[in-house]
Amino acid sequence: MTTVLHPLVKRFLDGELRLADLPPELHAEARAAERLLGAVDRAPVTLPAALEARVMAEVRQRVIAPSARRWWHRLAEPWEIRLRLRPWILGPALAAAAVLVLILARSQPPVPPVAVAAAPESVYVRFVLYAPGAHRVSVAGTFNQWDATTAPLAPAGAAGVWATTVALPVGQHQYAFLVDGRRWVNDPAAPMVDDGFGRRNSVVAVTAGAAGARAL
Amino acid sequence: MLAGDTEQYAELVHRYRDRYARFATRMLGSVDEAEDAVQDAFIRAFEQLRQCRDPDNFAGWFFLILRNRCLAERRRVARAGPGTDAVVVLATEQADGPLVQEERRRALQQALLGLTPEQREVFVLKHVEDLSYEEIAGRLGATIPSLKMRMHRAYDRLRERLKDVL
Repeated sequence: MTTVLHPLVKRFLDGELRLADLPPELHAEARAAERLLGAVDRAPVTLPAALEARVMAEVRQRVIAPSARRWWHRLAEPWEIRLRLRPWILGPALAAAAVLVLILARSQPPVPPVAVAAAPESVYVRFVLYAPGAHRVSVAGTFNQWDATTAPLAPAGAAGVWATTVALPVGQHQYAFLVDGRRWVNDPAAPMVDDGFGRRNSVVAVTAGAAGARAL
Repeated sequence: MLAGDTEQYAELVHRYRDRYARFATRMLGSVDEAEDAVQDAFIRAFEQLRQCRDPDNFAGWFFLILRNRCLAERRRVARAGPGTDAVVVLATEQADGPLVQEERRRALQQALLGLTPEQREVFVLKHVEDLSYEEIAGRLGATIPSLKMRMHRAYDRLRERLKDVL
């Protein structure tokens, strides 16, 4: 059997000719070739819903301008504050913090209060988001029962950069930023996990050792 | 749509996520690879959004980006090593039983991967997406005779690979 189809059979497969238009000696070849097209899989394909979240996470990262991204990294990486609080130093530490707050309050606009109380084994973690045009930003997560009112971010110098410091207990925490009270934004520099509902949350791991808070 | 408006873009991603999923799957041979291709195409489309001259035809513009991504992937695979060029042999006891139909379907999908990316593209658009040569020419910016030449070579190649099946 030759493996090259007759040109008329090819036109038949293209839909330009009907079987009746072909000479009888080509009917068998045409029917065999038609079986080939009958095996074409035309079933629709549905892609996983998580695809959208992955695309948008990447897209949001790309929205940040290169200069702002450099700002972001400078702020996000070296600025994590690592403190281990022991019960016997809690009193002096709180007194020192109060003095520091008073000094800062005289020289700077009011800073939103840190909303999560420091536990004995906790680490101060600085959350930073570049959100140009935002009017208000807060961070919510498993550490504050996803209550977006307890940890607002404040403008942090550079235009569009928002930041806050929150005392987090040792452990792993999922979180996201809430921009203008209606738009949830993941932390572009942090790893993410599925939340079980088709969306993804950012993750931070807080350890009690010298390593302090770190990305997973 | 304004470039950089991520919320509007999220709507586009939602709307067109599955529109060309079948095309990408048949081009690449698996849903997983199609998912990667569609994801990359959406990200690339966002980066090049200002080049979308006709915002009302985002779908057609996005299709070309996805199509280029699929062709590049197939060329990369072809360069990486020889594909499965074995002639497909099927059970032929019951010429049109459901089992044979299923095997034939799988054999054809495997044989499609043996075509050149350009041949496969025309075959998928015409016989999977059910577009006419005129529609394919309009989408790809190719001439109808060149598309037919590609398709007819694809027919011969498929017949060679599936000669024991048909």
